[in-house]
Amino acid sequence: MGEQISRLMDGELEGAEADAAFRELKQPDGVATWMCYHVIGDTLRGSGAPNAGFSERFAARLSAEPTILAPVPRQTHRLPLAWAVAATVAAVAVVGSVAVDSLGSQSIAVAKAAREAAAVRAAQARPAPVSPDYLLAHQEYSPTAQIQGVGLNLRAVAAGGADGRP
Amino acid sequence: MTAGGTPVGAGRRLARAALLGLAAIAVVPAAFAEDAAAWLARAAAAARQQNYIGTIVYQHSGYIETSRLIHLNDLGEEFEKLVNLEGPAREVIRSQGEVRCYYPDAKVVRIEPRTFRNAFPSLSPQQQKALAEFYDFRKAESGRVAGLEAQAWVFEPRDGLRYGHKFWADPATGLLLKARIIDERGEVIEQFAFTEVTIGAAITRDMVKPTWPVAPPGWHVRQQWHGEDDTKETGWTVTRVPPGFVKIVEGFRRLRGAREVAHLVYSDGLVAVSVFVEPVGGARHPIGLSTQGGINVYIRQLDENLVTVLGEAPAVTVRQIANSVARR
Repeated sequence: MGEQISRLMDGELEGAEADAAFRELKQPDGVATWMCYHVIGDTLRGSGAPNAGFSERFAARLSAEPTILAPVPRQTHRLPLAWAVAATVAAVAVVGSVAVDSLGSQSIAVAKAAREAAAVRAAQARPAPVSPDYLLAHQEYSPTAQIQGVGLNLRAVAAGGADGRP
Repeated sequence: MTAGGTPVGAGRRLARAALLGLAAIAVVPAAFAEDAAAWLARAAAAARQQNYIGTIVYQHSGYIETSRLIHLNDLGEEFEKLVNLEGPAREVIRSQGEVRCYYPDAKVVRIEPRTFRNAFPSLSPQQQKALAEFYDFRKAESGRVAGLEAQAWVFEPRDGLRYGHKFWADPATGLLLKARIIDERGEVIEQFAFTEVTIGAAITRDMVKPTWPVAPPGWHVRQQWHGEDDTKETGWTVTRVPPGFVKIVEGFRRLRGAREVAHLVYSDGLVAVSVFVEPVGGARHPIGLSTQGGINVYIRQLDENLVTVLGEAPAVTVRQIANSVARR
């Protein structure tokens, strides 16, 4: 376990390996290892021991921070990117859980908000289906749909197929 | 003093010639608009008049759909058969002024009459003006698409209220082989492309027939609406129409189980944005923005009406139109 967390801290893990390491971090032992390694790292770098009460103060400040659910500047066009973003937010949620475990109950709300943000973002990543009859009605009048000829039908088929609802 | 012959007269003529020259330059956008409009008309005519069979790939938002397409123009009458090649079978048959969509897994066939009647809407002078004013239309590179030498053309938007469009056409017929919609970041958000196509293929009526009868026994037939559309004032309007867009049609349609829906269409010559207003009583519906490739949809509730605005335009354009829908 320790080795994977160490490699994660060094930024060596990606994808499934990183996910596995994040799962380890959710375990009490994993959190202890994570904190221990950071203390070791800080000490080796000469940063000194953390100030007394740092965890509590950090937790208090973190929970006082407004949770920013920023409006999505644009629709996500490529699913892989959306997944990456969702994964990032999920990672934030994981770190949030770590904070819950190691820093006390005050940050439960933060972790919860982070998880909710992850869910919102994941939902937005997939475009909602458009009603096929509206699309067909619209595209009768769209100059680009007319030059594509079949384009209008393809969009409607895709729309009808997306939720399996004809 | 008599005009002509004198140095002063010559000077005046020169000035007049210069003015005419300037006028000619000023007229260029109009000539350009004709080019863009002529190009669109040729592509639309080719899509209707040519006989072709091929495989077409539709991509958006990480979604890919591959379909087989057969198009026949038999003495002016159009037939089209589109069958998807992956996932649950979907078949779209266009013939005799209607579109039929078959969903064999759900045992449903939807029948959608078309008002369009195979006529490309020849662009109004206003739309042509908008084309010239809001898009930079130009010839781009040539290259191979679906194994054919294709010529690319670009409509680059001059503001953030419309997307960029790139089209690849067969130079001989004008038939579109590939089409892309490009957002403000230069990313392709939707693409249609033939991967292989035979233009001028020998196609028979049998090849464009549906796999199933018009109304297969045991299937649910959804007739979307009957009769002609009622083109008239709907009592609705858009108070803040984005620059370049003009209203091209307004009327009532029967959609979604024969409910009467107000339909207004605004176009900038290249794309269109539709406004649908339907009475829904007090029922709540999901509202907000959604996207399917190059189409943005914005839904909002206005009193006891559901306003649905959709078009091949950025979210900002669709949202502005939706938010300024009001009673006339």
